[in-house]
This record gives sequence, structure tokens and C-alpha cells, in this order.
Amino acid sequence: MELKMIHSLRVINKGVALLVGAGLLLCAGFVLADIIMRQIGASFGGTEEIAGYAMALATSWGMSYTLLELGHVRIDLLRSRVDSFKRALFDVFSMIVMSGVIITIAIRAWPVLERSIVNGSRANTPLETPLVWVQLPWFAGWVWFALMSTLTTLAALSLLLKRRHDETENFVGAFAEQETLQ
Amino acid sequence: MIFYVSVGLLGLLALSIPVGIVLFLLGFGIDTFFSSFPLTRGLGNMVWSSSNSATLIAIPFFVLLGEILVRSGVATRTYAALDRWVSWLPGGLVHANVATATMFSATSGSSVATAATVATVAMPQAEKLGYDPKLFSGAIAAGGTLGIMIPPSINLIVYGFLTQSSIPQLFLAGLIPGLALAIAFMAVTVIICLIRPDLGGRRRTFPFPQMLRALVDLIPIMILFGLIVGSIYAGWATPTEAAAVGVAGALVIALVFGGVSWSMLSQSLTGTVKITSMIMLIVIGASFLNFTLASAGLGRELTEFMTGLGLTPLKTILVVVVLYIVLGFFIETLSLMVVTIPIIVPLVLAQGYDVIWFGILMIVLIEMALITPPVGLNLYVVQGARKSGSLNEVMLGALPYCLTMLAMAFLLIAFPSIALFLPNALR
Repeated sequence: MELKMIHSLRVINKGVALLVGAGLLLCAGFVLADIIMRQIGASFGGTEEIAGYAMALATSWGMSYTLLELGHVRIDLLRSRVDSFKRALFDVFSMIVMSGVIITIAIRAWPVLERSIVNGSRANTPLETPLVWVQLPWFAGWVWFALMSTLTTLAALSLLLKRRHDETENFVGAFAEQETLQ
Repeated sequence: MIFYVSVGLLGLLALSIPVGIVLFLLGFGIDTFFSSFPLTRGLGNMVWSSSNSATLIAIPFFVLLGEILVRSGVATRTYAALDRWVSWLPGGLVHANVATATMFSATSGSSVATAATVATVAMPQAEKLGYDPKLFSGAIAAGGTLGIMIPPSINLIVYGFLTQSSIPQLFLAGLIPGLALAIAFMAVTVIICLIRPDLGGRRRTFPFPQMLRALVDLIPIMILFGLIVGSIYAGWATPTEAAAVGVAGALVIALVFGGVSWSMLSQSLTGTVKITSMIMLIVIGASFLNFTLASAGLGRELTEFMTGLGLTPLKTILVVVVLYIVLGFFIETLSLMVVTIPIIVPLVLAQGYDVIWFGILMIVLIEMALITPPVGLNLYVVQGARKSGSLNEVMLGALPYCLTMLAMAFLLIAFPSIALFLPNALR
């Protein structure tokens, strides 16, 4: 059951990552168009601002994909020297700590959005973007990451308790770098 | 506080908690134990303001550029073309390894991707032509490290972002040391192969028309490099905009060479998202730690600490070099850079050194970290691609190049103008 859930989370987040990637590509196109427009004396204006928002959104929504593809860098100097049970302990411990930190970030991200909603804040820029428009999806991205991280932790913990620690390596282990680059 | 941060950092990293998360934890710790007002309240704002950045979006753009070039097969063509041009040198194909790595680092920002590509393409050739596996694979691992020095470099963007120094200036400063290192790598290869010709495999020459035809495969990459770097210094584009130009250029090249497909494109996009988020978790964590350290008065404590030690500026730098070499055995490039910036950079600047110059010195030292065991990512990548022999062979083969980098670090300390000449000339 745990592995099935991880598999579906991976499929979903791969879709999210594709969307985020397409958004980045779109943003690159937008920046490029602006450079060309500038050469002929016109400009959309506000490209910088939009690029910044794109980066904030790409960051918060891309995190979960990286998590599930084991992309977040860990130093496995000690971890790689012990047997698979102790390795699983390292992994689950690190996932619990990670989930704690991400949940904290998601909670602390709320006041940022709340302030923008209450004050109806607009960006201090020519576009005067209402900040809620970008901060709401940004906040949702961190909540999503917190949720994904917690679910992954629970799946690993449950397998560990069932003494099936050999199966956790695949989704909470360290360094998938070599395989993914082939 | 310095002691707490250092011990906490190494301890938490050893527990194999993700590097970005460790940085947040240290920030929380400083808030709890060293600050009189609650710094964690600013966490949400820190996360928002450090990721809402038009500067940092250059990172996914440069990663995407590299992914497109590598996955569309342009890298393979480049390698074959460079082989035609450099295989007559003593050491033959080894030079093609270094040269391909140099060219790719000049357009993409990623060391690991470069090393992986070259390794996959080159390894089968090495066996066929009788090269020494140690030297051959060592050269790939070392050549791949140039990616973080020669502009556009993602590491320099992160350094500029965290130290608030000029990214175009950093790029200019990295150009000469980066090219010098590439040439030095090739020189070292020639020397080794002159002393021990049996290591270098068969030297080959190609008829001139073939060499000319190979040039066709090199021109697009060179134009791309010119476009990216040129548009920054011509004042047409910021580094971010140049990166967007680079993405478009890479797509065009891939289209011309016929390497574009849906699966290649979707792999490039997801690959970009994965690497970007990995980098950003660390960058956001470092911004938060930076903020807590500064608020808790690290600057004052550092100054007192340094006065207490009574080191001269030169001795300080030498201590810093040793520190990076030692840490480099265990911690990887970006992580090593980002976790040390909040403490080391203020310390070095307080001694009167230039922030641009130190960025370049730091990059050389961090390049070494990529190929020093036991943790040296490029060593593992090359080993992963060659599927035979032991990791020790790669480590041994990388050693001469490692020493070359160390020599470069000392040259930079003795003659800062190696890095600062270009930025000062064009200021």
C-alpha cells in the first residue's frame, strides 16, 4: 500500500514538475520577447517582476518533485557505512526532521499571505500586481510540499515498523544522482 | 556562536539530513539560543523574498540550456568534432575530454551533467584505443569541474546573490582563471604522456578536410557562448535575460541537429525543475541562516575572534584554503559554498580582500572538492558511466589535476589580478 501511494505521488508530482518546467520555458520566451521589443524601442515593462514571481512559484511547486526523485542533497558519509536497517533509520529520521522544518515554513508563510489579503497589498512596481495573486499559489506550493513530505515520511515509517526497511531505500534513500543522469 | 554553528553544521550534516534543511535548523537554533528577539517570525518573509528573484531565475534557464544541449545529442557531436582537432597531441583523446568539458561548461552551468555526458560518450572510445583508464577517467572528472568556473556559472550566480556582489563582474573574473585551468589541464596531460607514453593511447591525425567538416559541429556552440556572454557585456541583457537568450539558442541548435522530441523536451523540463528546486532549498536555507547570523551579531563576534587570533591577512587566507580543502573531502560544491559563505566571506572581507576575487578563489577550491575523495560527486559520476574498474582508479587519475587546481589557487593568492584584471579593465 505504501509503495503504491508513493508511486501515485510520483506520477502526480511529475505532472506538476512538467507544468512548472513549461511555465519556466514560457517565462524564458517572455523575457526574450521583451529583449527584442526593447531593441525596436518598445517594451512590455515588468518582465523582471514577472520573472521573480515565476521563480518563487517554480521553487515552491518544484520542491515535492525533487523530494520524491531523491534530489535534495544529503551527505551520506556515515549513512553509507551501515547496514540496510540502520540506513533506513537514518532516512526516516532525516525525513521526520525535514517534514518538521517544511511544516514550520508553510505555517510561517501564512502571515505573509494573510497580510497581503488583509491590506489588499499591491507590489511597489509599475504593474502594481495585487500580491495575493502570486502569494496564494506560492503559499499553496509550500503547503503541498509539507503534505508530500509528511506522506512520504509516514510511508517510510510504516514500512520500517513492518520490518520492510529494505523497501524504503527507493524513495527516501540518498543520491539518485548517478542513475538520473544516465 | 561560531563554535555552535560549526559543530552543529558538521553534526547535522553527518546525520545525513538534507543540506538545505540543516541550514534552516541552524537558523532556528540561533534564534532560540543567541537572539533576544524572535527571528523565526521573519521566516515566511525570508522564504518569499529570497525566492521572488529575477536574478535567480537565471539558474533554471542555464540548467535548462545545458539539459537541452546534452539530451539532444549536441554534446556527442561536439566531442567527436573536438576529437578531430586535438587527438594529435600526446595524450590524444584525453584532450578532447577536457576540451568538451570546457565548451559545455561555457554554455551550461552544471559540472555534473558535463562530466556525465563526456563520460558516457568517451568511455567506449578509451578502451578501443588503448588509453590508461586512470588518466582518462580522471581527466573527465577534472574537466567537468570547469563548469562552475567558466561563465555562465550557476555557482557564481548564487555567490553573487548571497554576497550581494555584481554577477557580470564575477563572470568576467572567472573567465581567465577558467580558461587558464583548462589549458593547464591539457599541459599537465601532455607532460604526463611525454614521460609515460604508454598511458596516452594511440595518437591519431585526421585529414584536414575532415577537420574542417568537424568545425561545422563546433560553430553553433561557439555562437551560443558568444551570444550569452556577449549580450551581457554589450549591455543588451542582464545575466537573467542572457540566460533566456541561451535557452532559445539551445532549442534552435537542437532543432537544426534534429535532436528535439517530446520525450527529450519533457525530460529536460523535469530535469531542470529537479535541479532548480534542489539548489533553491539550499539557497533559501542559506538566506535564512545569513539573516539570523547577522541579526544575532555574528559580525562583531567574528571581528573579536579574528583580533584574538592575531593572524595577518595572508595567514587568514591560507587558513581558509586549508579549511576548504579539508571540508571539501566531505561536502559537495554548492553545499560547501553556501554553508561557508555566511561565516567565511565577512571574515575575509574584514581583512581587506576583494569580494569578487575571493569568489573566484572559492570556486577553484570548490572545484577541487568535486574530485577529492571520499565525497567527490564527479568521481562517482564518471565511475557510474564506465561500469568497470574501481573508483580508486578515477581518484588516482584525478590527482594530477587536483594538484593543478591547488597551484591555481596559490597563483590567485599571489597574483589577484589573474581574476581582477578583466573586471577592472571593463569597469
